[in-house]
Amino acid sequence: MRLPDYYEFCCRVKIVAGHDALEKIPALLGALHAARPMIITDRGVAGAGLLDVVVGALQDGIVIGAVADEVPSDSDFKVVRRLAKVYQQKDCDAIVAVGGGSVMDTAKGVNILVSEGGDDLMAFTGAGALKKRLKPLVAVPTTAGTGSEVTLVAVIADHEKNLKIPFTSYFLLPDIAVIDSRMTLTLPDVITSQTAMDALCHAVEAYTCLAKNPVSDACALEAISLIAGNLLKVMKTPADRDGRLALATAATLAGMAFSNSMVGMVHTLGHSVGAVCQVPHGTCMAVLLPYGLEYNMHKNGEEAGELLFALAGDAVFARTPRDRRAKQTVASIRALNQDLYEVTGGRHPRCLGEVTGPDGKIRVPRARLPEIARVALGDASIFYNPEALDEDDLLMVLEAAWEGIPLDPARIRKG
Amino acid sequence: MNDFREITPGGRPFTRMYLNVMLWFVGRAVQAAARQDLEVKREFEALPHRFTFALTAAPDGPSMVVGKDETGRVKYLGRRPGDYPLHVRLTLKSMEALFLLFTFRESTATATARDRLYVEGGLPEACAVVRILDIVQVYLLPKPVAKLAIKRYPRWRLKRHTWDRAMVNLRAVIGY
Ligand SMILES: [Fe+2]
Repeated sequence: MRLPDYYEFCCRVKIVAGHDALEKIPALLGALHAARPMIITDRGVAGAGLLDVVVGALQDGIVIGAVADEVPSDSDFKVVRRLAKVYQQKDCDAIVAVGGGSVMDTAKGVNILVSEGGDDLMAFTGAGALKKRLKPLVAVPTTAGTGSEVTLVAVIADHEKNLKIPFTSYFLLPDIAVIDSRMTLTLPDVITSQTAMDALCHAVEAYTCLAKNPVSDACALEAISLIAGNLLKVMKTPADRDGRLALATAATLAGMAFSNSMVGMVHTLGHSVGAVCQVPHGTCMAVLLPYGLEYNMHKNGEEAGELLFALAGDAVFARTPRDRRAKQTVASIRALNQDLYEVTGGRHPRCLGEVTGPDGKIRVPRARLPEIARVALGDASIFYNPEALDEDDLLMVLEAAWEGIPLDPARIRKG
Repeated sequence: MNDFREITPGGRPFTRMYLNVMLWFVGRAVQAAARQDLEVKREFEALPHRFTFALTAAPDGPSMVVGKDETGRVKYLGRRPGDYPLHVRLTLKSMEALFLLFTFRESTATATARDRLYVEGGLPEACAVVRILDIVQVYLLPKPVAKLAIKRYPRWRLKRHTWDRAMVNLRAVIGY
C-alpha cells in the first residue's frame, strides 16, 4: 500500500454497540455529568415505534427533559432555533439524537445554539468558529448508512435564503454513538439495501480516493467485509439481529473512514443526481459505485483490487490473478446490485434509467443528465477523486450509468 | 529568564520573497487569462457579481487577491485579503505548505488530501476557482512541471498552446 507522507485521523467518539446498548445511555450521560437529556427525533422514527424503545430504555435510569419528534426530512435553521428554545425552557443538559442524517444534523445545530448561546447559527459557520466543547451529544442512528454518528459535519438549510450551510468542527462530533440492533431491525428492505450501499460507497471511496490513510483503510476494509457478509442475509431474513448489528457497525466504520479520508466522484455525481432529480442518496450510490471504480481504475486499480478480499472472500481473491482483481471488484459490486434487484423484486434499481418515484414514473429523465453533470462540477468531493473530471467526463459516466452499461475504456481520458 | 528562548514564527525571508513574487505573478496571470482564455472568461462570468477570492498562507503569510470589479472585469487586487469582502478563501496551513504548492512538488488536490489546504466560502465557487488556477498553471508552466501540478494535462488546440500562452504570459508581465 502507498503510505501518504502525511495524514490526519481523528474520531473521538465513544462507540457503544450491542443488542441492548440503549440501556447504557443513562450511565454514559451520568459520566458526562448530564442528568436531563432532550431527545430529538422525527415522526418516522416515532411512528415505527423506535422512540418508545429508546424512552423505555432510558426512563428507569434518567429524567428525560423533553421529547421533540418533529424534525422534518430537511433540517432547517428555524427548526434548530425552535428546538434550542425548547431545550433551554425545559432546562435540559444533554441531547440524545435518534434518527438518520437529518435528525443528526439538526441535533448538532441545536447543540451549537444551546452551548454557545444566542440564535444566530451563521456566526458559527467558518473554520474554527467553534472554540470549545459543546453539550453532551449522544447519537443513536436508526439507519445503517450515513455514518453521521461519527462525522464532524452538519449541513443545515436556510430555507429563507435557499442555501445549504455546512458546519464543520471537531466539536460537532457526538460524544457517544450508540448502535443498537433494535433501531434497524424493522427497516424496510429497500431502505436497508440503499443505506447499506451508501455505507459501502463510503468505505470503497475512502479506500480508493486521494486522501486515504492506513487508519481509515483499516476501518474501510472491515466495513466492506461486514456489508459483503451480511447484506443479502439480512435482506432475506430481516429479523436477523446479528446481521443488523453487523450492518450498523459497518456503517459506523465506513463513517469513520470517510469523514477522515473523504469521498470521490461517486458522491460528486450522486449528490447532484439527488439534488436535481430527488433520488434517495443510497440509490444513487448503489448505481454509481461500479462506475467510479471503472473510471479511476488506471490510477487506483491496485487499491480497488485489494478490496476484492473483503468483498468476495478469500477463495475468489486467491483464484483471481492480481491484474484482474480490480475488474473483479467491479464485477462483484455489479453482482451484488443484481442480487439486491432480485431479492427486492426489482425495487433496487441497477441503473439510473430504472430509478422510479413513488408514482412509478421514471425519476431521472435522460434529458436532464447534462444539467446533473453541470451541478456536479461544483461538488467539492471532485477534488478527492484520483482522475480529473470535466463536464464531458461527468456526462459520459452519467450516460453509461443511465443505461447500465460498463464504461467504454476508450472514452476515459487518462491523466 | 533569558535562559528560556522565545521563538516567534516568521523568518525564512527567501521563501517569503519567492512566494510573494510567485503569487504576484499568478494573480496577474489570472487577470490575463480572464481576458485571453475563453474557458477562464466563461468561468468568471458564471461567478457572482463582484466575486472576489484570495489564496493565502496561514497565519499571515504571502497572499493574493483577485476579483471582478463593478463592470465584471477581472483584476489582480494585490496581496491584502483583509481589505476585501471575500467569496472564497483558499488557505494553506503554513507558508511551507504554500511553498510545496508553488514549487510544484504538490498539486492542489494532494494539498487538500493531505489536510494542508482548506477552503472557506461557497463550495461550487471554490471548485470554479480551482479550475481557473489549474488552467493558469498550464499557461505558466512547461508541460513536465504542469503535469505534477494538475491531475490531467489538458489537450488544447495549437493556438491555445502557443498564441494564447504567449499572450497570457505577456499580459501578466505588463499587467494588462
Ligand atoms: Fe454517502
